[in-house]
Amino acid sequence: MNLSVFLNHQWLNFWRARNANKSLAIQIILGVFYFLIFIEIAAIGIALPFLLKEKMPNINPISIYTSYLIYYFLIGLLARFQLQELPSISIQPYLSQNVHRIYMLRFLNVRSLFHYINFLPLFVFIPFIIIVVAPSYGPTAAFCFFIALFSLVINNHFLNMYIKRKTINNAWFFFAVLVFIAALKGLDYLKILSFEKASSSLFITILNYPILCLIPVAMAIVIFIKNNQYLKSHLYIEELVSENKKKESKNFTFLNRLGDIGEMIALDLKLIFRNKRPKSLVVLSAVLLLYGFLFYPKYLATGNYSMLFFFALMITGIFISNYGQFLFSWQSSHFDGMMTYNTNMHQYIKAKFSLFLTVCSLQFLIASFYGLMSWRLLPIQLAAYLYCVGVNSFVTIYVSTFNYRYLDLRKSASMNFQGIGAMQWLQSLIITFGPALVFYLLDHFAGFWYAVLGVSLPGVAGLVFHESIINWLVSQFKIRKHKILEGFRER
Amino acid sequence: MIKITNLRKSYNGVDAVKIDHLELHPGEVIGLVGNNGAGKTTLFRLLLDLIRRNEGEILSKGNSITQSEDWKSYTAAYIDEGFLIDYLTPEEFFYFVGKLNQLSKADVDDFLSSYHVFFDEAILNKGKYIRDFSKGNQFKIGIIAALLGNPELLILDEPFANLDPSTQLRLVDMIKSMAMERKMCIIVSSHDINHVSEVSSRILLMEKGSIIKDIVGGESAYAEMVDYFKIR
Repeated sequence: MNLSVFLNHQWLNFWRARNANKSLAIQIILGVFYFLIFIEIAAIGIALPFLLKEKMPNINPISIYTSYLIYYFLIGLLARFQLQELPSISIQPYLSQNVHRIYMLRFLNVRSLFHYINFLPLFVFIPFIIIVVAPSYGPTAAFCFFIALFSLVINNHFLNMYIKRKTINNAWFFFAVLVFIAALKGLDYLKILSFEKASSSLFITILNYPILCLIPVAMAIVIFIKNNQYLKSHLYIEELVSENKKKESKNFTFLNRLGDIGEMIALDLKLIFRNKRPKSLVVLSAVLLLYGFLFYPKYLATGNYSMLFFFALMITGIFISNYGQFLFSWQSSHFDGMMTYNTNMHQYIKAKFSLFLTVCSLQFLIASFYGLMSWRLLPIQLAAYLYCVGVNSFVTIYVSTFNYRYLDLRKSASMNFQGIGAMQWLQSLIITFGPALVFYLLDHFAGFWYAVLGVSLPGVAGLVFHESIINWLVSQFKIRKHKILEGFRER
Repeated sequence: MIKITNLRKSYNGVDAVKIDHLELHPGEVIGLVGNNGAGKTTLFRLLLDLIRRNEGEILSKGNSITQSEDWKSYTAAYIDEGFLIDYLTPEEFFYFVGKLNQLSKADVDDFLSSYHVFFDEAILNKGKYIRDFSKGNQFKIGIIAALLGNPELLILDEPFANLDPSTQLRLVDMIKSMAMERKMCIIVSSHDINHVSEVSSRILLMEKGSIIKDIVGGESAYAEMVDYFKIR
């Protein structure tokens, strides 16, 4: 039993996983999507040296490039906290087999290296090294420089895993590193201590004395061994999976007044905060609230109201599209139960709408502070909000009745396309670009206030007639209920 | 209680369940037996409207279960983990189900304390989510939650298979007394013909989706089942 057998099993697992049997169209779209990401990053890597030369012709591009490397690796470590998971469960079936533990350790460590986050940097490093470094320092130095950088990537990789395994509370560590980076940058900015200069001279030293690349290599080896040692003494399933905190029962008293519907909303809130994938999606929605600072000033200056409306739609409605794209799938693991508990489908659908209404209103209230930037934003955001709760929420529920895919809540969200089908792509098109287009046309041909009114009206109509719309949605849900149940049971 | 007529459910042309006529009455404990693939779980799912039938009708208290949702107020079931909300603590789950059955928190607490023997101190106040419990304990949680609404129709899929011996014996007693005192209709499937013949007042033997024997429970039923399963 050697490493290749394990890797072969992983390979089979990847291709035979249930959600790998997606329709061909989705696979092609995903393939194109991945391809575009890689092309883009490679393009950045190739364009970077030329950009540096063009923008700052007086300064040596290598010294600029290397001065940012320290930040690159620190931020890389930070990103890994969020994006990289410990590969632990996959060894479970082997633990009871006649396999030496040392093989499993090696497998765990080698397997973890196959992550896109380890390959992406190569696209940035290699073009730069070939185009800029090799001509001025020679191929040997360039190669050693590459070895040094790559070792640091590996170093980051195992350091992250080591920290993740050791610390139970990753959040604190995450913020500690974040503060550390901010402090470094702050000192740099205030010109008290220059870490950029230090970083630059450090890496240029490696270029001058290529043999020094053995230091990062040694660092990577040390942290690899550390990882091995730790794993060796902790190769038990329960210890590989961190987190053993005592869980507390919670009761959202403010929702009690809403009766059964409040109870359902509380259930959704618990679902969000206790499971990895919905949690990261919702955190993303909260971060998106800050988009206004990024985009509003630009379009306010040019008076481009339809773009403002487009971003207002995102800011007020992101929860609906993010959480709503898997509205029923989030509960796929206990959907059998949901359909037999003493509650009816009308209540169930209404609770989903109420959840959208509650969160969306909250987002709208917070976003209203953007009104301080310009009063124009208030009617725009109001129109976007009304459209989101009055139209998008219902569209989202309707589209969800076509989603028959099981979803594993415990997997992380990044680059996770489990449960995504053509409907989701279509849905995001309908609920953001559709109204933005209407706003644009009305704004262009009739005027600002007509545009605001034009998108608000369907929203208000949706809110006024919400009972009958919900009744219709329930009838739609009933038609496909058995199909949804069947799909969710297929894991 | 339940009236089934001409029920048929098939997958790829093969009948998974085919029952021409069946009536279940209050106060009956029905043991459903049969080898793997006989259609027991499929029948349960049909009774709960979780899968679409190809033909026939299921009436619960005279109402079609697909037309009306009234049956949910007096029907409870535990088939597998799909009936548990696994990111809740057991307490939260009980309060949730209780609330849906118009029980206050205090009502639920009362109910739980009356069943504390059944729990064996392994469930409450453990500070764990349901997903972190063992399969057997998850089953206990599911059964208790099913009993919470004081149902008139209770459906349990292989309850004895996952429970520890003490709980199995307690469950046998509980099922018997509930059917007697509260006139509940209880359907239990099991591979344990010992327990089934002890607990059931009526035994249905399934084979290839059909009910081939409908017999009265007890000693003689046990002998009849042994005869049947031995030659298979």
